[in-house]
Amino acid sequence: MNESISALMDGELEGRAADEALELVRRDGMAADTWRLYHLVSDAMHEQPLLSEGFTRRVSARLAAEPTVLAPGRLPGRTPAQRFAYAAAASVAAVGLVGWLAFTPQRPVEVPVAKADPVAPPALRAVSLPEAANDYLLAHQGFSPRVSLQGMAPYVRTVAERPDEPSK
Amino acid sequence: MTGWRAAAVLCLAAGTAHAPLYAQAADALTWLRKIQDATRNLSYSGTFVYQHGGRSETSRITRLATGDIERLEVLDGMPRELVRTRDTVRCYLPESKVVKVERRTADRTFPALLPEQLSSLASNYDISLGEVRRVGGFECQAVVLAPKDNLRYGYRLYADTASGMLVRAVTVDAAGKQIEQFMFTQLDIGHVTADMVRPRHATSSWRVEDAATTPTRLTGWSLSADLPGFHKVIELTRRMGESKPVGQLVYSDGLAAVSVFIEPLAVRGEPARTGLASLGAIHIYTREVANHMVTVVGEAPAASVQRFANAVQYQRP
Repeated sequence: MNESISALMDGELEGRAADEALELVRRDGMAADTWRLYHLVSDAMHEQPLLSEGFTRRVSARLAAEPTVLAPGRLPGRTPAQRFAYAAAASVAAVGLVGWLAFTPQRPVEVPVAKADPVAPPALRAVSLPEAANDYLLAHQGFSPRVSLQGMAPYVRTVAERPDEPSK
Repeated sequence: MTGWRAAAVLCLAAGTAHAPLYAQAADALTWLRKIQDATRNLSYSGTFVYQHGGRSETSRITRLATGDIERLEVLDGMPRELVRTRDTVRCYLPESKVVKVERRTADRTFPALLPEQLSSLASNYDISLGEVRRVGGFECQAVVLAPKDNLRYGYRLYADTASGMLVRAVTVDAAGKQIEQFMFTQLDIGHVTADMVRPRHATSSWRVEDAATTPTRLTGWSLSADLPGFHKVIELTRRMGESKPVGQLVYSDGLAAVSVFIEPLAVRGEPARTGLASLGAIHIYTREVANHMVTVVGEAPAASVQRFANAVQYQRP
């Protein structure tokens, strides 16, 4: 039972298996407790503020009281409760994934950022460093938190070349 | 996936509040504190190499903990010497006989990783401990900061396990490619005398350029959109070179910092050259906004620096 609830939280269940797990959480008090406990653990691990007692019940009551506006393209054969459960499971799965990435220290830099859009948009026009680059760099460096880890070392990031013409 | 959660439940049941993976992140944060304490409390002298884009430059750095004086001498290229005494940085340029002075304002000393910044760090980076390996003759613990998005770079820091001194710091991009690195090729902890941190130059006839930084509100200037994870650190006016006052806004995500400089176009007497330039992990993007030249300088990927620049707006108050 716990395995299937955990898998549901992680979005690893599909179709029938997901339906069964959701049904279990809905009907079985112990399964529902496990579901809540897992979220509590997840929140504690991610240092999310814990929800107050009875939060789920109050949200459900408020949702039930909401007027239904329009339901275009209603999915066949699924009750509103199931749809809500799916949505909840999906958002929980998303939180689970973020949490998993956040606490997977073994493979640091190549996580999904590598797949994100390239760092420099192609349209960017490259220019040489502004004449006053060293002034900017000096003015900037003192505010970098790196100074607290490295002392003055980051200050070497100045332009080493002599300017072609003496600046004055 | 199931295993870790079950383990976490066991930990809760046993009365420990944190799962093992969380404990590892906490260990890594403790190491960052250790590095910071070493940087602040130790006297040291050493030679380090700064590598970026196929170039490398050698510098000497010396710090005397009593009196909090630090001296940096760049040995390659144009001679430069920087000396920091507690709250003032002086940059000596012997060729042009200029000394540039940056004074910290009373409300802001040198940035330190305070507990709240550490938690801000943890929300922008996955912080973990890496391998233990020898670097420059020191046994070092690697601390890995992997960015949670592509708005910032990642870092691998190698700290001496005995003293906590940062021996090597590597900046990597989202693809894991090295952007720049600092590495001590020689480091001596202790044995520093006051003589070793004294500026080398007699500057009585030099021109003094005092930045005269003054915290203020830059009326009318703001960002139309914040960059996730970055918050404003300070807003000030300053002088740069011999120019009229320049506005500076500084943003940070806990480790990387981005400065936005705003100056009336007439000040520099030349049109603003829109575009991007880079130096190691630093990108500089210039554009014109409301008859002002906006220059964003940041230790962040080009796209982030450009986003900052494009978000700068002026609204008549």
